Formats: sequence, structure tokens, C-alpha cells
Amino acid sequence: MKKYLFIFKATFMESLQYVMNIILGFITFFIVLYVFLNLWDYIYSDSASLISGYSKNQMIWYVILTEIMWFGTRNRTLTNQIANDIKSGAIAYGINKPYNYIFYMIARNLGEVAIKFVLFLGAGIIIGYTFVGGLPGFRFVNLPFIVIPFLIGMLINSFLQMSISVLSFWIEDSTPFQWIYDKMIIVLGILFPIEMFPGWAQPIMKLTPIFVVTYAPAKLVIDFNIHMFLNVLLIQGIYAAVSFVILMGLYQKGVKRLNVNGG
Amino acid sequence: MSQSTAMGLLSYVNMVQGGFLYKKGLVNHMVAIEVNHLSKTFRVKVKEKGLKGSMKSVFRPTYRTVKAVDDISFTVEKGEILAFIGPNGAGKSTTIKMLTGILYPDNGDSKVMDINPTAKRKRLAYQIGTVFGQKEQLWMHLTPYDNFKFFGAIYDLEDAQAEERIAQLSKTFELEEFIDTPVRNLSLGQRIRCEIVASLIHRPEVLFLDEPTIGLDPVVKENIRELIKKMNKEYKTTVFLTSHDVGDIEKLCKRIIIVNHGKIVLDDSMENLKYHYLNKKIVEVKMKEAADLTSGEGITVMKSEGSNLKLEVDTTRKNISDALKLFDADNIIDINISNVPLENIITEIYKKGK
Repeated sequence: MKKYLFIFKATFMESLQYVMNIILGFITFFIVLYVFLNLWDYIYSDSASLISGYSKNQMIWYVILTEIMWFGTRNRTLTNQIANDIKSGAIAYGINKPYNYIFYMIARNLGEVAIKFVLFLGAGIIIGYTFVGGLPGFRFVNLPFIVIPFLIGMLINSFLQMSISVLSFWIEDSTPFQWIYDKMIIVLGILFPIEMFPGWAQPIMKLTPIFVVTYAPAKLVIDFNIHMFLNVLLIQGIYAAVSFVILMGLYQKGVKRLNVNGG
Repeated sequence: MSQSTAMGLLSYVNMVQGGFLYKKGLVNHMVAIEVNHLSKTFRVKVKEKGLKGSMKSVFRPTYRTVKAVDDISFTVEKGEILAFIGPNGAGKSTTIKMLTGILYPDNGDSKVMDINPTAKRKRLAYQIGTVFGQKEQLWMHLTPYDNFKFFGAIYDLEDAQAEERIAQLSKTFELEEFIDTPVRNLSLGQRIRCEIVASLIHRPEVLFLDEPTIGLDPVVKENIRELIKKMNKEYKTTVFLTSHDVGDIEKLCKRIIIVNHGKIVLDDSMENLKYHYLNKKIVEVKMKEAADLTSGEGITVMKSEGSNLKLEVDTTRKNISDALKLFDADNIIDINISNVPLENIITEIYKKGK
């Protein structure tokens, strides 16, 4: 465990070199949020009305929170690094060290995401307070319960994205699959809450990663209840276990057919 | 007999017995690497020419199998520096990758420090170090010091132990000047030195160096070679080296294995290799006037440009003094007799292996 903490620490130290890059990434973050602030402002002509059970304030905070999760946890380690390591043969250095390559990547991902997530969280909260004020139903006492699903959601997202990357052992380029997953999360999981979609689609969407990665953690912030918290925790637990088994299974199978060319 | 002489004799007897038993295959405590009938085949996609071929390969991809390593066997003794060379695509890197547990062999088996690389990859990792000249293992934005601390932690070293080894290795590899400079700002030569140190932090028994001097200038190459030699002497590390640079091989290795098309075509000591091939001499003569000389018994004319001649003399068939008698001594301006460069010898062996 000590070595994985060290990997986390080394990545964290390296990420500090990129703080300016992260801050530049705020530009897109601000633009997207600005567009959605205006859009919801226009749709909610009467600020007291509810759409699919959400007030204007809740809807905007939902988008801010999911955007924080999206921008704050996005990194190339998950989407590109593993695939590139497999394609370039650099994985040779990763698998002949006394650690598990997948755990190494998870530790690296967390090291990269830690600082990014905190910065985007800070920026998102400032924007939210400035434009729509605080969340009326939010209580600080719920904070520990909210943090857990956030972290598990991040972990599930990394397991899924890494599983897609590991497909590079079989296919030449796993980027199209990453693209499909990304767009699914953005379009269906970030911009609108699940309640906004047609009734028949909602049960299906609740089975997809959207529920555990973005929707449920954000929903718990804006409208917390212990019943939902336990329910989310159970589903996240199942999702985390299954996605982890898939990831490790794919890796174990793939590494046996590794074909490192030349050099 | 003094106590130290007795001890010395005893260790000599042990050594001789050890060698004898090893040759009999009874103990292998002297062996660092043991390879038995190792083979590896790759499946390579084949695509016909042009757009039509590309379309066809989408729907009906065809593959051909390439035997990268074909039934090779050898052993490397502890403390040895072995050159494992061959032309591009000969199977050198594939062999290294099988010996370090990265690739799974199709047939045969290998043991590195008595460990099966594929079955006990993690255990083996503590015993070996690897440097792939064309790939990086260092963290570019961290300093060499932070990198070494990182690798120390990866190999479960205590903090004090890691500090001690960093101090020792940075002295051996002369890193003091740039140990606190981020790796991205180092020159290639400095970076390779750091790569080697990172691979040595856990004191591996065997170090695999895959083209460690690639892309380096002659001065830095020489410096790296000296450091590898020093490391082998100080830490008794077994070195398994692949390189296209004849200088690396000539200056570092006592034994050479040449592979081509996945097979071993030569496994011999450098001394033997030179002895068998150095009976050929290159004679370069500059004459006052153009001389007419044709190849004959033991003599091959390699180049004849007016008054400049270049011959290869096979001294087993014709001795040098007889060869020189073919020239009119008064007509010679300059003469140079040299050995056939090792590079040519190796190229010849490659060709024979085809």
C-alpha cells in the first residue's frame, strides 16, 4: 500500500507543475456553465416554478456539480495513457516492476485528479454562489454522506474508462469507445437530470453508469435523503465490484497476449 | 600455513568444485540466466496494397505468423557481461522481454536468478533492473532525486536505505551536479545515466540493458560504458546487453551471442571471436604509380582506385610478408595494415546466418 501512496504522491507532485494548465481549463468550464445558466434562466421564466421536480436553483446546481465531476476528473491517464503504453510498448516498464500495473494507474489517476478536482470544486462553488446563491436544502451535516458517493463515482468512472483503454490489447485503437462513453456521460449524465428524460427511458438510464457516476452523487447534494443515500451506496458497491472485476479480468487476459513490437 | 592462506585455498577448492558441479548440471548457484528452447511467435496483420486491400482487411483480415525467437538455449553466469546482438528484428528485444516477464513464451522455459519470469514476475522484479534505451521510465517533471526516492519506495526500501544508495550511486555515476534538476531539462546522456541508476536502486542481481547508448555522442557513450564497467566491478551485477554499437560490445563484453532470424548463430567468447576472425588483415597501400593487382590465393582486392589499393589478406593461406612482396617496395608511398573491424566480422556472421 505504501508504494501506491508514493505513486499518488509522485503524480501529485508532477501535477503541481500543471496548475496553470488546469486554470486555463477553467475557460471552457466557465463558458459551458455560462451557457447553461442562461439557458435555464430562460426556461424558468418564473423562478418559483418546478421542472421535473427541480427548482431553478436546484437545476443549476445540478449542472454545476456534474460539470465539476466531469471537468475535475477528466485526465489523459485514464483515456490515453494505458492505450498508448500498450501501443508504444512502454507498458514493458509498467509490468516488470514490483507493483500491479492497474493499481499503479489507479494511484496515478487519483494523484492527477486530486488537485484538479479541488480546483474545479472551488471554482464551481464560487460560480454557483455568485449566480444563484446557496442551495436551500443543503446541510453541512450531510457532507460526509455526500463525499462517499462522489469518491465511489469517481472510482467507478476510472474503472470503466480504464477497461475501455485495456481493450487496446485486442483492438488497434480504443479511442472510439472512449468517445462513445464520454458523450454518453456528457449528454445523458451531465446536462440534464434523469427525470428530464421520457418515462420509459428513465429505468434504463438508472441501470447505466450515468446513475452511479454523475446523477446520484449530484442528486444527493441537491436533495439529500438517507434512504436514497443507502440505495445509491448499494448500487455503487455492486457497480464498483463488477467494473473492477471486468477491468482486472480484461487486463489479466490482455497482458498474456501482449505484442510489444521492436525496440 | 597461515589462516588466510588456508581460507584462500578453501575458497579456491569450493570455486573449482562449484564450477565442476555446475558443468555437471548439479548446482546452478553460478548461473544468473538459464534459457531452454525458448520460442515466441507473433501474429502480424497482412494488408494487400491500395484502397482495395485496405477495404478487404477491414472485413477479412489476414495474418501471417512470424517466429521472433526460435528455440534458443543459453546460460549466463553471475557477474558476466554478455552481449546479445543481432540485426533489427532478430529477436533480441523479444528475448529480453521474455526474460523480464513482459512477454509470455510459446514454448520452452527460462529462469532468471532461479525464478520463472512469467510465473513469478513480481518476485523477479526485485532481482532485475531494466533500461530500454528507447523508452523512458523516469518521471519527466520530477528531479532525478525524487525519481530515485520513488523507485526506492516501489522496491520497498527503507527511507535511510534509499538515501544511502542514492548517495552511493550518484557518486558512482557522477550525478551530483544535476540530481536536483527536473529530468525534462537534462541532456540525453545525463538522462540515460539517471535511467541506469533508477534501475540499480534496488541492487538488482541482473541488469538488462537494451541499447543503452542509442543516440548518444561518442564521448557520452564512452562515459556510459566506463560507468557500466565500474558498476559490474563494484556491485558484481550481471549485465545482459543488446546494442548495435560495436564499441559497446568490444569494450564491455567478454562473451557474445549473435542471434539472427530468432536463432543463435554464434555463442562464443570475444577472445575466440577475434582469434578466429582476426586472421584476416586489411592492407591499404598508397603507390607512386598505379599498380595492377588481382585477387588470388589468400588475397582479395577490395578496392583499386589508381594508385590506391585495399586488400584483404587471409593469413592462414598467405602470410603478410608474402603479400607485401607483391608490391614494388620503391613504389610504395604509404602502407597501413589493420585488423578487420569487429563491425565487419559481425556483419559477416549476420550474413552467414541468413
